Amino acid sequence: MNYLALALIGGLLGLDTVSCAQTMISRPIVAAPLAGLLLGDPASGMYAGVLLEIVSLYQLPIGAHLGWDTGPAAVAAAALAAGSGGGSVALLMGAGFGALVGWVGSWTVHVMRRAGAGFAANAGRDPMTPGSLTVRHFAAMAVDFFRAAILTLAALVAVTWLTSGVGEAAAAASGAAATVALVCASLALGVGVRSMAGGRSVVVAFGVGFAFSALVSIWFH
Amino acid sequence: MVPLSRTTSLKLLLRSLTIQGSWNYRTLQGTGFAFSIIPMLLRLYRDHPSELERSVGRHSGFFNANPYLSTMAVSAVARMEAEGAEAEQIERFKSALVSPLGSLGDRLIWARWRPLCLLLALLVFVLGAPWWVASGLFLALYNAAQIALRLWGLRLGWKEGRGVSRALLGSPLRRLPDRLTIPLSLVAGAVLPPLALAFGGTTSSAGPLIVIAVALALAAAGYLRPVIAGRLAAVGLILGSLVFVALEKTLW
Repeated sequence: MNYLALALIGGLLGLDTVSCAQTMISRPIVAAPLAGLLLGDPASGMYAGVLLEIVSLYQLPIGAHLGWDTGPAAVAAAALAAGSGGGSVALLMGAGFGALVGWVGSWTVHVMRRAGAGFAANAGRDPMTPGSLTVRHFAAMAVDFFRAAILTLAALVAVTWLTSGVGEAAAAASGAAATVALVCASLALGVGVRSMAGGRSVVVAFGVGFAFSALVSIWFH
Repeated sequence: MVPLSRTTSLKLLLRSLTIQGSWNYRTLQGTGFAFSIIPMLLRLYRDHPSELERSVGRHSGFFNANPYLSTMAVSAVARMEAEGAEAEQIERFKSALVSPLGSLGDRLIWARWRPLCLLLALLVFVLGAPWWVASGLFLALYNAAQIALRLWGLRLGWKEGRGVSRALLGSPLRRLPDRLTIPLSLVAGAVLPPLALAFGGTTSSAGPLIVIAVALALAAAGYLRPVIAGRLAAVGLILGSLVFVALEKTLW
């Protein structure tokens, strides 16, 4: 798949995160396997997406809070995981690189919003034609699209360098990579539950779900 | 009063999909709100261009709400405009709507419904379903609710007009976040063991019981110390990734 086409997809995913519709196709659990599919390895994309999803689960977009820019992050994660040949090391490298891209993405969104505030200086006071307001609105969305597309393209260029020569001896470190992934995912899941809800009933319900699932998982393992 | 035609309500609904398109730190969703309500303003002030420009400018001021409940504000304000309410009255009404729409929508969607749908999809995947089933399940569940919420908000806002806050407080939607708390916690608990085995069980020399117990201890630490654990998980993931990349590039 052409990286330019993937970058355009990253731009669309960036729009979905906040600016348009918010159907959540930009969530890592959707965007990462789709990007992986376009790169020929949806499974690696999905595993990297699952890890990225859990670690970003506690970031709730309430008020002006800025979470990771998950669309470009998911594309970057899938590209690195797929390009590194799969396995635990590829999964960890992909999800971690995706998180880095998502973090940089949230900073670019912050810059864009601050610039947008300058353009809205007289909003609410001066009369405005519907046409000029529409142009301003779509211009802001276009900026968001290109911001996400450029970020995705830059991440994909970095992936090309990162994946060259990687993968031959990855199996040797797969145990350590799986441990890091397990630690990050478990910690983040606990944080996620706390950020969404808290209290005794939450802990009890979590425990019941865990106990039942643990029995079934060990039984079938 | 000018009625809300199907065409106008469809336009309000479609435009409200982009209510956050020009989100900024000064007016937040202000420009998006004005963009969303333009079809109604065009119907009302078609023959009064200066009044139209004044009302578009007025609506582009500060506004913020949960995006999925914003249709309620847009249609309620559209009704007030259609009824010929005073500009100051409309501005006060918009300001008063910000808090209830934001608080309810954020608790319901961001803190309950989205995590519940995501965790259900993750559970389905780690139990062995193909990736497209998990992704499809998440998208179907999440979007069915958000589209229903947008449509409900559009209808309620137009029906109740300036009384929409009272109608919202009396709606069953208000209690829904609390009712979703237990299912959300149950599913979160159920996700952890198969997830731990999927990530750590296959390559670890420890048995599945130990892997699951370690995952539970870590999740408990995350629950008890969310700030530190959240940073540790995010930074650990990024640094872990960079370390492996560096090792791959230099040593191996």
